[in-house]
Formats: sequence, structure tokens, C-alpha cells
Amino acid sequence: RSCILVSIGGKNIMLDCGMHMGYNDDRRFPDFSYITQNGRLTDFLDCVIISHFHLDHCGALPFMSEMVGYDGPIYMTHPTKAICPILLEDFRKITVDKKGETNFFTSQMIKDCMKKVVPLNLHQTVQVDDELEIKAYYAGHVLGAAMVHIKVGSESVVYTGDYNMTPDRHLGAAWIDKCRPDILISESTYATTIRDSKRCRERDFLKKVHESIERGGKVLIPVFALGRAQELCILLETFWERMNLKAPIYFSTGLTEKANHYYKLFITWTNQKIRKTFVQRNMFEFKHIKAFDRSYADNPGPMVVFATPGMLHAGQSLQIFKKWAGNEKNMVIMPGYCVQGTIGHKILNGQRKLEMEGRSTLDVKLQVEYMSFSAHADAKGIMQLIRMAEPRNMLLVHGEAVKMEFLKGKIEQEFSIDCYMPANGETVTVTTNPSVPVDISLNLLKREMALGGPLPDPKKPRTMHGTLIMKENSLKLVSSEQALKELGLNEHQLRFTCRVQLQDPHSDTDTLHRIYTHLKSVLKGYTIQHLPDGTVMVESIVIKVSSSTEDPNTKVLLLSWSYQEIYIYL
Amino acid sequence: VENLGEVSILKASSGFVSTNICLWLLNAVHQPGSHCVCLLLSRYKDLHVYQLEHPTQVIEWTSGKTVCVAGFTSSKNEILELRLPLKLFADENKGLCAERDFKVVHGGFTDAPVRCLRHIPGTRCVVTNDGLSSDLQVWDLGGDDSDVIRRTGSVDGSRGVSEGGSRIAARLSSQPQVLHGAESAGVRLTQLTSGQTVYTLETDSADPLSSLHFVSDAVFLAGCSNGKVYIADTRTSAAPQLSPPPPSSGESVLWWTDASAGPSCLDPSSCRIVRLSSCGQTVISDLRNPGGAVSRAQLDVQTRRCNADDVRVSWAPALDDCIAVSGFSGAVQIYSSSVWTTELQEAQPLFEHRGHAVSSQSDDGVPVFVTSHVWHPERPRTLLSAASDGSVHVWDWVDQSAAGC
Repeated sequence: RSCILVSIGGKNIMLDCGMHMGYNDDRRFPDFSYITQNGRLTDFLDCVIISHFHLDHCGALPFMSEMVGYDGPIYMTHPTKAICPILLEDFRKITVDKKGETNFFTSQMIKDCMKKVVPLNLHQTVQVDDELEIKAYYAGHVLGAAMVHIKVGSESVVYTGDYNMTPDRHLGAAWIDKCRPDILISESTYATTIRDSKRCRERDFLKKVHESIERGGKVLIPVFALGRAQELCILLETFWERMNLKAPIYFSTGLTEKANHYYKLFITWTNQKIRKTFVQRNMFEFKHIKAFDRSYADNPGPMVVFATPGMLHAGQSLQIFKKWAGNEKNMVIMPGYCVQGTIGHKILNGQRKLEMEGRSTLDVKLQVEYMSFSAHADAKGIMQLIRMAEPRNMLLVHGEAVKMEFLKGKIEQEFSIDCYMPANGETVTVTTNPSVPVDISLNLLKREMALGGPLPDPKKPRTMHGTLIMKENSLKLVSSEQALKELGLNEHQLRFTCRVQLQDPHSDTDTLHRIYTHLKSVLKGYTIQHLPDGTVMVESIVIKVSSSTEDPNTKVLLLSWSYQEIYIYL
Repeated sequence: VENLGEVSILKASSGFVSTNICLWLLNAVHQPGSHCVCLLLSRYKDLHVYQLEHPTQVIEWTSGKTVCVAGFTSSKNEILELRLPLKLFADENKGLCAERDFKVVHGGFTDAPVRCLRHIPGTRCVVTNDGLSSDLQVWDLGGDDSDVIRRTGSVDGSRGVSEGGSRIAARLSSQPQVLHGAESAGVRLTQLTSGQTVYTLETDSADPLSSLHFVSDAVFLAGCSNGKVYIADTRTSAAPQLSPPPPSSGESVLWWTDASAGPSCLDPSSCRIVRLSSCGQTVISDLRNPGGAVSRAQLDVQTRRCNADDVRVSWAPALDDCIAVSGFSGAVQIYSSSVWTTELQEAQPLFEHRGHAVSSQSDDGVPVFVTSHVWHPERPRTLLSAASDGSVHVWDWVDQSAAGC
């Protein structure tokens, strides 16, 4: 599950709030005790940002906001906001109704949670408060997925969520400008993979469908309303056209309504960055694909049906599955991950006998195919993203440290930046070099310039003497005199004095002269003067000689200096 | 090739158009850098296409499921140990396995090109040569506790002139040993741990090598670029047997060799040698009669470009009489030598994998050529091939002639 806490410039941000799909107990939720041991999270978080609608990134959101308690803003893109509640509700139904869990969020909680959502547009800077700003970038991967740039003052972090660097049929590739964040946080789960081409995945899909149709079988493809469904439809339509195939292809009506609704959202959201990668047509005007009627499921002969829901846990896809499962000529193609407890999950784990309602069993004789079309960045993709954003530091999450050393070395070598790989529960501190903007008074600037010498090298630091005044929210550098004047203070000069006793029978003047001669010989390189007023000056140190009142042979040397830094050997 | 709007139909060379329809699917959505891929549904049982960041000239098995690849640029290069996709090995449960990607299980860095890479069987060690000298670099691939490939040492080569770098061979032995050399005179068998040379091949002339192969624990072949093959036994100091270059070999013709263990790997004399020339002439001989030829053929290779470094010829380890040839173009060709005779006749490939040329990623108009190929040691028709554009394909081809269609 993804859930990352970032503290930056005094602000606390939660990045994603996912559910771990492998656990059935409380381990599936993120451990919020890292934020506070008890009580609500509102005071501890400035905002929550959700990257996309996959359950391992948003599955725990209603739990966090309604059961643990958080009333602040939750940021996500428009499509994520539209699709999240549907997936959460589906997930809730499966977990509570089918598995009978109790420590889980309710439908009302999902609704209340979504009321706290503030939608984001791409490339639009949003001020969370007067110091914290965020901006969303296109991430590819799934509809509405975003990478987020978070900035407080001059420090910034970019969180990638899940992203993809190769364009898809209906999604473009992730893109970000050279924003040079202090840290780039990226998933490393796929960092050590090299992806098989999309064409080979598609080939596999078409091959399977074709083989089934050729032997007279029926193919069921359970899908979520949007995303992969359109892609697979386009693929099949083109294939049917070229191969001149006659078997019917259907999509269930539930799909059309939802799809058209999201499609409109899809268009307005993605137009900003995708120019050429978008299909300019009504998504469901296909020549070979028709609307499904439930009576068609009993028709003889080969056919392909796209039906919802995607995990075979209810509704039309499950009904069709029950009818077709008993025939080994048929096939079901699962295009994505299925949550534990669903029929989809069971058959993908090889179960061939299923217990249905009313204690009846279903023999699964049809062919089960698991195909993954989800797009993730691989090792090459991570390097491409780093090249685009130019972060100062890299942070990889969700990998095993021993399996990431090579990638860490590669990043460090190629980009000369530090790469961190914290484990779950570990904190990483990254030092940044924030630049502090300071105004400088013209007088001071002119004076420093007038000190002569060559023009200052902008790359080399140069010492100067001034006073830094912090007033309200501004910082300015002025000359000391001006500072005193502005602050209405008098300048004081501090002089340090010290008395040294010497045994010397000579006169005061002679002693002074001897001291002068001695110092001149041992302190070469220092300015030593014998002044007519009866003092010797070594740089700014003043030396006077007087005789002790009790004993004329004891001379008292009075040393006085205004700086403490000069060391003198006597 | 006919163009029908978005689709082109390629008439396969075997002549069976209806079943061998090549489906070219242009991207329905125009994307920058889009290209056509030949989706031959019936020609491949499995097909996986990958893109490495840098091209490799080496593919070497380090286990039944892992291979090593490495870059060959003049400066910094990576050595990667890749695990093949789980789906390939899933067999009965193939449908339930969605995993199609390579996994980078170990990786390391080197400052020189990697022109030759050999795994030492029974160890986690690989040995490389940079093609610039005859010295070898020794690497530890690492185990479960680290994913970094580290340099552990080096092996000195002999001091002859070695423009092409060393060839390397290894076989399972109780003490890890490596056979290496750039020329026939000076091939050595070196103990890895001690660095001691336990055997040196002595030949009358110093012929540049194009390959080294063990055919048994002690017998090995040194294939020379001029077509000569020396057959030597590391247990004796007797002079090696010499199989002279095939006739009609010209001055500028280069030769590459591969040896198969034959039906019985215990008897080295049943081993067969295949020699391939830069003009496509192929000669098969038997170790029992190294000077003669069992069969020959003129292969249909495009000889426009022939870089000595890239040509590979190999016997299929799990198929009878099958030979794979690559490096002349962007294709890998599979030939069945069972139909060849002693007369030099033209031979047609049983199968041609054109994926690299067809799905080429290079934009500069330079034609792509295959840099390396290997057969899977057990799966009869599974091969891996790599090309100059950084692509690596894993493919399991269908023998159309056997299918009778």
C-alpha cells in the first residue's frame, strides 16, 4: 500500500492513502500512529493528496478521513474524484457483504470523505495555504493519474504515484518540466523490470481470442467501465476488420452509460497534454461491436462479450460467467487485478470448483487467462523521469534494499545525486540548500563595490560587512550606520584593555621605544607605528607605557584593542 | 508486401498465405515514434519484445531461466543478469501467469566494452573480454543478498597480437577453469582461483580465432577465422588435429564455427562441426572425419554488411539437425540440415525471425542487424536474439512444415 508522509517547510502532507490488498486484518491499513498515537489527524496534516484511483493508493482514504478522523482538504484530479467512490463502494461491498468484515468503512463514510475532496487540474498551481502550493502533472498509467509537485518556499518535492513513460492507445506518457525538486519520490516496484512491448501483450490477447472463436467458443472479458475496455475494443474492432471475422462482439449496456459519462471528463482532462494520442471519435461507435442483451448469452456459436463488473463479483459479468463456465471451449480473459474474495481472484488462483449461493457448486471448465495491460514505468522509465525533472535527490519506495543497490548505483553515477531507499516505517532526512532571498541597500552595495579591486566573480563568495534586518516577512541587508539609524540606536565602540607589568628601570619613553623596536623585529608583516602622542600601535592595538606609582622600576603596559581576533606574541 | 490502407499483408516465403497472414497493426492513435510490428499469430507460440537502454553483443545463459547481457560502448557499460518472464516457463498454468517482463536480478558496471561473456558452469562467475586485448575480467554475479555484479579479478591472456580480442569457453569442472585465447597459438586453460595455466595449445601458425568450444570435459575445438579448426585434448601434450578450411575459401572470407555434442555427448567423436563463411557457404563435418564434409549448403544470407563481431552460427541443443544463423542482417534464420547433401546447393530457411528489422527503433536510417542469438538449452524452439538497436526478443517459433499446413 502507498502512504507517504512528507514534512517540508513546517508543513505535513500525506501522499496517497492506500489499502494493502494482501491482508485481511488491520495490517491492510496504513499505520497512522506515526502521525499521532490517538485522536484525529486534522491538526497534524496540512493536506492529503491522492495520485490515482487504484485501491492500493486510495483504498484506505475513507477509513482515514472518517474512522480515524481528518477534516482538511483532500486533493485529487477530476477523473480520480469521479471514479474513486465507485471503486471504493465496490470494494466495500465485496469486503463487507461477501466476506462479512466489520472494521470497515460504510457507504456513508465514502460519501462524507468525497465531500472533502478539492479537485485539481493539470499544470495549475493550487495554494493550499499561503505557504504551501501544489501542482499536478500528467502521469499516464490510468485515467486521471497524476504526479504531484509540492512546494513550500524554495523547497519542493515531486511524488510520482504510479506513472508510465511509454504512451498507450488511450493514455499518453507521463510528462514533467525541469522543476528541479529537492526530492523526487518514486515507486521502485517495477524499477528492476524491463517491460515486454505492448504489441506482444496485444498479440497474446488477440491470439487467445482468435483461438477460442475458431473452435466455436465464447469469450467473456470482465472490465471496469473505462480505460482498458476502450483499448481492447479498439484492438478487437481493428482485428475483426482485417481478418474479416464474423463472430459477434458485444459490450454490456452498463458499460456504455458509464463510459460515455467518463469519456466526457476524460476528454476535457487529457486534452491539455495529449495532442496526437487521442482517438477523435465516439468511443462506442464500432462497426463490429454491438450492445448486449442478456438473452444473447444463450445464443449458440462463438462470440465475445465485454461486461461489468471487472472482478466477476456481481452483476452481468458474473451471470454470463455462470452460464459459460461449464464449457471448455469457452474462455474468460481477466485484464487486471482482482481483489481477494471475488470469483475473479479465485479463478486466477487456479480454483476450478466454486461455491455459489445456495450451496451449489460451479465447475470451472472454461479456459482462464490472466493478462496484464497495466502500464508502469520500468528501469528505463525511471531514468527518463529523472532526466526530465532533474531532482537534487532521489527517493525510492516499496523496494527491497538489497535488490535495489544496482539501481541506486546507476542513479548516483549517471546523475550525481543521492538516492535513498527507506523501508516502511523508516524516516529519511534530506538536507537541502534553501536559497534565502535578501534585499540589499543600494548604499551598501555601492560601498562594497567602491572598495576597489577586480569585479567580483559571481561564483565566488565574497565577504562583506553589513547588518541583516528581519522585519515582518522581509529580509534586508544594510550598512551598520543605516541599521543604527533605522533602529534608533547609538553606536558603541568596545575596546578591550589589559595591563601587563614589566620590570624595566628605564624611563617610560625609553621602555616604549624598546618595545617598539622589539615588536618591529618580531612582528614582521604587521603595521607597527610609533606615534608622537607617546603610543605604539600594532594594527589597531594601542600600547602605552607608564610607571607604577609604588615602584618606578615596574612599568605598566596598557594594551587596548577593539577586536578580539588578533593574537599577539609578547 | 501489399498495402491496404492501414494494413499490409505479407506473403510468407513458405507460400501459405491464408494461415501465415502477417497482421500489421498500425497504431490506431498516432503517437510519436510509432512503428508497425508483425503480429504473426500462427508463426510464434510465444513472442516477447524488449528494449534495453543499450544494445548488447552477448547473451549468455547463467541458469535455465537467467541470461547475462552487456553493453559494448567505448566507455561505461552495464552488465545485467536478466530473469526471463515467468509466463514463458509456466507451461500448464500459462494462462494464470500474467508476468511477461524481464526482471533485472543483478547489475554491474564496467569501464570497457564487453565483446565476449562466458558463464563458468557450476559457479556464479562470469568472465568477459573487451575485444581490445586478450586479457579477461572475472566477475561475481552475486546471490540473494545483493543485486550488484562485482569485479573479482582478471586473467592474463597470451601476449600475441590480438585485434579481435579473446574467445572464451568453459565447461563444468570441479575446479573452475576458463579456456581462452585470441589466436590458435596461445589458447590456454586457466584455473580461476589460482590463475595458473594448466594447458596451452601449441599450433604451427597463430591463426586469429572466431570461436572456442568444449565438446567434452577435455576435448575442445578452436575455430579460426580462416576456416581452420583445431581439435585438441587438454589431457595430452600431443599436437592438435587440424581440420583444414573448406575448399573454395578465398583470402578475405571469414569463417565461424559451432560444435554440437551430437546424439551422444559422452562420445566426442560423434560431435558435428558446422562452419559458416561470410559468403553464406556452410559446411558440416563430423569429428570422426574432420577433413571431410558430411553436407554443405549455400545459405540465403544478405551479405551487404558483415561485421566479424556479429555473426553467430549455432546448433540447436534440443532439436535434431537445426542450425540458427544471424548477424548478416536484421533476421535470425533457422535451417534444417537434415535435407542437405554433399553437393553445394541453395538452402531455404525453415523459419526466419524478422522481428528486429521490422520493429526497428533506430531513427537514423541505419539498418538494424542482429548482434547475437542463443537457443534455450532445453526448450526446443525457444531462442533469444539481440540487435544493434538495443532490442532483445524471446521467441518460440512454430515449425510450419511439421504442422503440415
